[in-house]
Amino acid sequence: MNLPPPQTPPPPQDPPVPPLPRDLPPGINVTKTHVVRTFSIDDVPLTTCRIDPTGEWVVAAAENFEIYRWPLAGPQSARTILHGHNSWVRSFDFSPDGRWLYSGGYDDRIGIWPLADPQPAPERMLVAHEGWVRWIRTSPDGSLLASCGNDNLLKLWDTRTWELVRVFEGHKRYPYAVVFHPDGKRLASFDLMGVIKEWNIGSGKVTRQWEAKFMWGFDQKFRADMGGARDMRFSPDGKYLAVAGLTEVTNAFAGTHKPMVLLMDWETGEFKKKLKIDSRGMAWGIRFHPEGFLVGSGAPSGSLWFWKLDGDKPFHTFKLSGGGRALDLSPDGRQAAVAQTDRKLQIVQFTAKSA
Amino acid sequence: MQRDHGCHRIDHEFSRRGFLASGALAGVASLSSPTVAHELQKKQKRVLQVYLQGGVSQLESWDPKPGTRYGGPFRAIPTSVPGMHISELLPHSAQRMHLMSIVRGINLKTNSHHDGRLFMEMGRRAGKFPYIGSVAAKYLMPENAPLPGYLHVTTRGLTDFTNAFLDARYGQLKLAGPQVPANLIRPKAVTADAARRSRTLLKRLNTRFSGRGGQKSFTDSYNASFEMAEKLMARRDLFEGEPDGKDLDRYGRHPFGRNCLLARTLLENGGTVVKVTHHGYDTHAENFNFHLEQLGEFDKTFCMLLDDLNDSGMLDSTLVMIYSEFGRTPKINVRYGRDHWGTAWSIALGGQGITPGAIVGATNKDGTEVSEREVDGGHLFHTYLQALGIDSTAYHTLDGRSVPIGDPTRQPIQELLA
Repeated sequence: MNLPPPQTPPPPQDPPVPPLPRDLPPGINVTKTHVVRTFSIDDVPLTTCRIDPTGEWVVAAAENFEIYRWPLAGPQSARTILHGHNSWVRSFDFSPDGRWLYSGGYDDRIGIWPLADPQPAPERMLVAHEGWVRWIRTSPDGSLLASCGNDNLLKLWDTRTWELVRVFEGHKRYPYAVVFHPDGKRLASFDLMGVIKEWNIGSGKVTRQWEAKFMWGFDQKFRADMGGARDMRFSPDGKYLAVAGLTEVTNAFAGTHKPMVLLMDWETGEFKKKLKIDSRGMAWGIRFHPEGFLVGSGAPSGSLWFWKLDGDKPFHTFKLSGGGRALDLSPDGRQAAVAQTDRKLQIVQFTAKSA
Repeated sequence: MQRDHGCHRIDHEFSRRGFLASGALAGVASLSSPTVAHELQKKQKRVLQVYLQGGVSQLESWDPKPGTRYGGPFRAIPTSVPGMHISELLPHSAQRMHLMSIVRGINLKTNSHHDGRLFMEMGRRAGKFPYIGSVAAKYLMPENAPLPGYLHVTTRGLTDFTNAFLDARYGQLKLAGPQVPANLIRPKAVTADAARRSRTLLKRLNTRFSGRGGQKSFTDSYNASFEMAEKLMARRDLFEGEPDGKDLDRYGRHPFGRNCLLARTLLENGGTVVKVTHHGYDTHAENFNFHLEQLGEFDKTFCMLLDDLNDSGMLDSTLVMIYSEFGRTPKINVRYGRDHWGTAWSIALGGQGITPGAIVGATNKDGTEVSEREVDGGHLFHTYLQALGIDSTAYHTLDGRSVPIGDPTRQPIQELLA
């Protein structure tokens, strides 16, 4: 009997090889925070910074009239200077697609810039307030821009036509910051005296109000008020509001006060945490990290603070080379940009160093 | 750079002790320049001092440098004088600079509150000399002046011995605000007749004390104190009642507004030297936010007072001084503050004897040095007095000796004198 020739078995296939740990991007570990890039300018300290929603660009302002733009990945030599304001720029935001940069300046104007142009020129310089524009913020869908200024007003602008949509009156002293709630229907604002207001965008009316007097002080000797928000953010789910500023003012004119971040439960209106730092200075930046903790920056001490939402003390502090006046997170939450008093824009990474 | 958190000795009360303290350093003052005084008193001349305590920033006021390294965020605005620009924080002043002039090249060579204040007030870098207010009161105050010669309206302040070796009646009398001064009202139990008899007795006792070899300066001080108190008691009406609502709307209902309204009232009613202090310029932190607030309050209020003096015709005979103990550093510190800076800063002057609309002196591009026509407190002291028609190169005559009124090594700023 003839047997069929034996069939050659198929060659065994290698099982898929799991990647080696060194090939994976390191996970978030803020205790391993380190500087990955340093951008700088020549003459004066930086005042604020933002990373655009695509993560392509980082912009900064300084104690001059310029705006500085770098590719987030660098290098320093790729810096572009944007000219248009004739005073300091205090605040930035972007259209959600990252196409437009908005800048609020102490020249009373909002600049609208094509962010990715080789040499961006202002599409428009909008006279927005009588007095400084202290803060601007884009609505979640990008159709509106909120601003606040030294005329004690909040204003809403249509980002297609730049027509004024609505004016919100009510603050008796300078509103320092305004933000959209993630539901897009409400605004929150914070003024010099620590007054927090929730506004209904549709009606223009105040729906709730609080007084965070612990973030304000009256200097008896010099008869002056000291307070206000230096940064303000909602958590992505809209449940919390975080406000960066100061507390325990003992000598406003000498800057004798302590940094404070207020964490509010926005649903209940409760002041959930008063996160005070026991050093002299100001909290200038605050962000909710996607992994559920808070990141703050402060000056003049030059620190990044990391808090858990249920913690009272930072679970980690990262020392900066200069005072941290503002910070922003990259879209993936792995990096942050920090505008510093030593003229540096530091890009830090919240991971261990790559092998 | 030395940080100074401000003054520490607060004197809020108008008190008998305050009167006496102002005379305590009067020493052996038996001064006379009757000829000069008589001539000046033919036409009452006055001084309005607005003291911006703590050191106003020249870059945020009279010498803005927008767009430069240390220029800060504020812009410069044109004024009513072609080619003259000042900070945008002074829009009301800008419309009235044809009435004022600016000295931009002041170098005191000190960054100390104490030393800068004394240099600006005494015209001397060191020593114990009378303040400009006391000197002006001595030579300008009429014999029968209805009010004390040197009145200082301030909500707080340093204890100043302003008259130095001059008679105690030329010492600064501090008023805590527009309210009726404390301790001015005669107790109900003391009748007017009893008070008069008491004063008569006191004068007799003082005379006897002096006649028996007692130090005359002590009794002079006491007498001057009572004399000033009597004058104020006689014009208690100046402090009573709420100011006119329209005036309050114009000047502002804040303490500085009310204090400037009182200053106007005092000048209109025979005050010779009236000083108003506006506090809150020692801005080591948040310089820009605080100057926004403070100069916002100063600017309109001061200009309303200037307008009223001008409209009434009094400005021509009233020297107006806007000054501090120094300016503030061009360099901005990490708290957005500016620190003490006596090296290159500015003041503004106007009214009696001052050429209006002038700028004298200049600083360099970044404001770090005087680049043109450097002057100091000594030059300014001569200038104030010469503007008032007082020969600042003459001498105070004391018992057996004489003291130059102004520093003999300094001269007036002739370009400023009308």
